[in-house]
Amino acid sequence: MGRFVVGIESTAHTFSVAVASREGKILSDVREVYRPPVGSGIHPYLASLSHVKAAPRVLRDALLTSGVGEGDIDAVAYSMGPGLGPCLRVGAVVARSLALSLAKPIVPVNHAIGHIELGCLLTGTADPLVLLVSGGHSMVVAFSYGRWRVIGETLDLTLGQLLDQFGRHAGLSSPCGVQVEGAASKSSRYVPLPYTVKGNDVSFSGILTTAKRLLDGGERFEDICFSIQETAFAMMVEVTERALAFTGKKEVMIVGGVAANRRLSRMMEFMTRRHSASFHVVPPRFSGDCGSQIAWTGHLAHSKGVTTSVEEASTRQSWRLDQVDVPWRE
Amino acid sequence: MRSRAGEGGTRVVYRGAEADLLRGRWCGLDAVFKFRRPFIYRLKVLDDAIRRQRTAREAEMIHDAKRSGAHTPFLYFVDMGKALIVMQWVNGRRLKETVSSLSSEGLEHVFAELGGEVARLHASGIMHGDLTTSNILLDYDNKGTTTNNNELTLIDFGLALRTTRLEDRAVDLRLVKETLTGAHSEVASKAYAALLEGYRGEVGPGEVRAVTRQVAEIERRGRYARVE
Repeated sequence: MGRFVVGIESTAHTFSVAVASREGKILSDVREVYRPPVGSGIHPYLASLSHVKAAPRVLRDALLTSGVGEGDIDAVAYSMGPGLGPCLRVGAVVARSLALSLAKPIVPVNHAIGHIELGCLLTGTADPLVLLVSGGHSMVVAFSYGRWRVIGETLDLTLGQLLDQFGRHAGLSSPCGVQVEGAASKSSRYVPLPYTVKGNDVSFSGILTTAKRLLDGGERFEDICFSIQETAFAMMVEVTERALAFTGKKEVMIVGGVAANRRLSRMMEFMTRRHSASFHVVPPRFSGDCGSQIAWTGHLAHSKGVTTSVEEASTRQSWRLDQVDVPWRE
Repeated sequence: MRSRAGEGGTRVVYRGAEADLLRGRWCGLDAVFKFRRPFIYRLKVLDDAIRRQRTAREAEMIHDAKRSGAHTPFLYFVDMGKALIVMQWVNGRRLKETVSSLSSEGLEHVFAELGGEVARLHASGIMHGDLTTSNILLDYDNKGTTTNNNELTLIDFGLALRTTRLEDRAVDLRLVKETLTGAHSEVASKAYAALLEGYRGEVGPGEVRAVTRQVAEIERRGRYARVE
């Protein structure tokens, strides 16, 4: 009788394996992060090569440090999508091999839902309005009628891409979020940038274009970082506030890589206070991509009988979270 | 509750995401005071500019929309410095709250009407910019039931734009669609089909084809859009 689920994450730069218990305890979470060369973004093929190299060690370490025996494992869960094709395929191959060799069921998990469910587990939220902000997503979602529904989202770049692409333009190496936040904290001089809210959606491409041009024109890097954060975050908080008023949810949670940004959480906290909603941020160690989000969500899905066969355990690069039925939530 | 802005005797009737609505009297008329309060999370210089701009735009667009034949409240007074608009009190309920209580025919009727309203705006070069079901009022009589004609009033023009771009018209329709699937998923496809029907009635089949094609194009551009 098993009691644990192994989760395999490989949607983008991170290859990670984690083991979670049915009670929601994370027993191990081992990661290897691919770092692209300075000035360039993730090359999907090169990242996948890095994952191939890292996989055996990461898998072994995760299983060993968890202290869980083969017989205690319920299922093998993996990120089916969305993400970069070559990277996803590495995770799927590892998951199929592991499931076959252990003779355990295989559970496909949507990466975005993984962020949300792990966030709910770690922050103790039951039915939050979720701001999912990362390199792959910038959306406001809420659960309703069996699915996570998208209330608003970016129409072009994600917040992560905005920060990364501007950082790389300034000669930093990806991911640039921490460095942009550091630079922003050294300035309080606002340079106007386009503030684009369209209904419940936002657009960041105008900010990127203007910010690059300002930098090339001699504006200080710190001032631009400050202005990017103030503008882009305020847009995101504004649409979250609209969604909060619209859905009437009582909890707000930020998840995804950009959840680690302190200025963003401060702004969100100010906003939620006015609506008497509680505010939650996923702990920094689990804000970025990790096996835990897949292991835990894999457990939730498996508990409701969501599994697939090894033959069907493929990848879905464009698998939106609002296409996924969620039988484990009311 | 006493108001912070506007006349004495007003009371807060709604706290929205962006503005507080207070009900009161203006020169003897039943009025609503829409006050865009400062956002403390936003940098002051940015916040002041945005509130001022949206107040001005909303007043202008409500006025222009009326000229297009769409139903909007009458404007009574505007104070840019306070980010305040005083306008007609409309006796209606937000469509968001009434959708689930509408009969099947009622739903089709209301959304066809809405399609017509939006088409009239678009035909005269106005994009609403915020067409969620919170920003559409449905008239109701004293008994609290909807009247036979189910008349609609469009409100909240703070994000409206003067535009003739196909893209902007499509963004408007896409937001209705997004709101429907996000918040009213059980009736979404039926309501959206009725909306397009009403839109067609106003502008003709060619224009509807063009706009819906553009809506599909915008959805394709979206993150992880389904490739069809």
